[in-house]
Amino acid sequence: MISAPLLHLSGVGKDYAKLDTDAARVKLVLDLLRGRGVARAFRALDDVSFDLAAGESLGIIGENGAGKSTLLKIVAGVITPTRGSVDLRGRVGALLELGSGFHPEYSGLANIDLAAALLGLAPDEIAAKRDEIVAFADIGEHIHDPIKHYSSGMVVRLGFAVATTLRPDLLITDEVLAVGDESFQKKCIAWMENYLFGGGTLLLCSHSMYHVQKLCRAALWLKDGRMVRYGPAAEVAQAYLAYHEEKSAGAKQSIAARQASAEGFYAIQSLSLDPSGRIPAGGALMIAGEVYSPDDRAPVVLVGLVRADGTPIYGIATDMDGVAPVRIAAQRFAFSLSFPQLPLLPGKYIVRAHALDPEGVRLFDNVEQPFIVEGATRELGLVRIGHGWNGGAPR
Amino acid sequence: MPVSVASATVQRLARHRALFVNFFRRELFARYLGSITGLAWAFVHPLALLAVYHFVFTTVFRAGPMNGKSFLLFVAVALWPWLAAQEALQRGTVSIAGYAGLIRKVAFPHELIVYASVAATLALQFVGYLVVLFVLALFGEPVHFEGLLLAVPLWLLLALAITGLALALAALQVFIKDVEHILLPVLMILMYLTPILYPLSLVPQGMRPWVAANPFGYLVDRLRDALLDGRLAVYWGDAIAVVVAIALFAGGRWIFLRLSPHFEDFV
Repeated sequence: MISAPLLHLSGVGKDYAKLDTDAARVKLVLDLLRGRGVARAFRALDDVSFDLAAGESLGIIGENGAGKSTLLKIVAGVITPTRGSVDLRGRVGALLELGSGFHPEYSGLANIDLAAALLGLAPDEIAAKRDEIVAFADIGEHIHDPIKHYSSGMVVRLGFAVATTLRPDLLITDEVLAVGDESFQKKCIAWMENYLFGGGTLLLCSHSMYHVQKLCRAALWLKDGRMVRYGPAAEVAQAYLAYHEEKSAGAKQSIAARQASAEGFYAIQSLSLDPSGRIPAGGALMIAGEVYSPDDRAPVVLVGLVRADGTPIYGIATDMDGVAPVRIAAQRFAFSLSFPQLPLLPGKYIVRAHALDPEGVRLFDNVEQPFIVEGATRELGLVRIGHGWNGGAPR
Repeated sequence: MPVSVASATVQRLARHRALFVNFFRRELFARYLGSITGLAWAFVHPLALLAVYHFVFTTVFRAGPMNGKSFLLFVAVALWPWLAAQEALQRGTVSIAGYAGLIRKVAFPHELIVYASVAATLALQFVGYLVVLFVLALFGEPVHFEGLLLAVPLWLLLALAITGLALALAALQVFIKDVEHILLPVLMILMYLTPILYPLSLVPQGMRPWVAANPFGYLVDRLRDALLDGRLAVYWGDAIAVVVAIALFAGGRWIFLRLSPHFEDFV
């Protein structure tokens, strides 16, 4: 026997009315009263279907305005879908945005009561849970102060404590982990892993591919309200990252080129890697590109290698090595830099290129290309440093 | 079928009773009792109003006894329920906006907001009504307190009807912001068309059926029967009133439930 999934969405869509005049508002009300749909609509979400079995975890990813929050709100019951159906068997705990459901004038304790009442708990159940929530939130005496005096981190702590202590069958969270200090984030992640391990079900919406890959088995990529890709988390996250990198690289370059001609800036106009995207550990990497010079003098090019999180590893500029980019056309110069044996350990990295004025003083832009170093090793850190164990015996 | 729908609704609302209590307290405390003078104000306000009416009608206009009762008592018995209904309608109409943050983020039955708003206003006004009756009796006015046996059910009927109207107006207000501005003058006109400051018997014969058809006029009449004359007999008109109140509630709720799924986008 196949048990029914905890959550089943089939062909779910949501339209928002486009209203520009007062008459349109009146017409909308009349249409709604007659049970008709919205006449002129913006499709925030269209034809989204997926199953989420108990004990599974799904990450929703996508750009701003892709419909992620709308989807989560539909699952949470805040929004009624225009089309399609949502079947949910169990109690939902939703953490939608910062301090949602809290009343700013109420104290932390009063808000705990309100939040629990919103979840449909009876007063005696609320009283039984209160101490546990206060302990998890761990904000001390502030629990007696009105929420409006809280820092955003404290609000998140309280919200997370409420949503988690009530042990929902399905936990929905929307980009809330981004707030809160490091130790609280760790606590949240630890709690979620524990919750998932204990059979909990999670629907997570995040811009952090790290969180999605760490916490979710599957991922769903939304773009303009439609499903682009739905599958194993790592696969979808990588496809999404690749799309994003292409897009941002394109955007940066075009901005740079436009600014360069308009404002007389030195600018990197193209940046390419060979091999592009993935290189084996210890392999060769060639970085090449073109740079624009408004006054036709050879600019200085600075190339840096940074880890995916922005930690700098190595940087070198043309003037440091006493070379200059080669003039290939009027106002256009080319550069090429190679690392014959790149000593980086497997992981995600970024090449950054900057154009500087010929004096090497002013830095004008920042163009990036990500790449991945592949390989299997148990070495730690960022780079392989030549070494030898003196007098060590083989194991 | 209607029975099962009704029972499902009651069950759903019963599950959220803690939330209703929470909202009710919020309405009561935030609006009336939150300030230091709040609790006192809840009692002082009706008494101050009563004193003003006494000054205006008895001292300035020198209004004589009405239907054998003092004019002040005659007016007070009818005016308080009207003011209660008016305030409940006005607050109920704009109640949804105060919960915009919740509506956008949390799933809960939106109708609870209107119930809590109307209930809080009417509960407080009813207490004020009792205070006014009590004070009038202290000053020697012949108040028939046994009439409360009829007056309380009449207030409950009023509450049901007002809740229905408030549900409809609150839902419309979310989409069309003019509703609250239209409401005030309409209520003002209705007040003077209702036999509150005058008895029906002073209305010219030809216009009397029109004025008498006003449901609120019925309520005023019955309250005067009960509290001024101590007449507790029930007649067929009461059954019609019950039907009208239930119809208003059901109709208002139908409108509200049609529109409430779209609140999230408009609050």
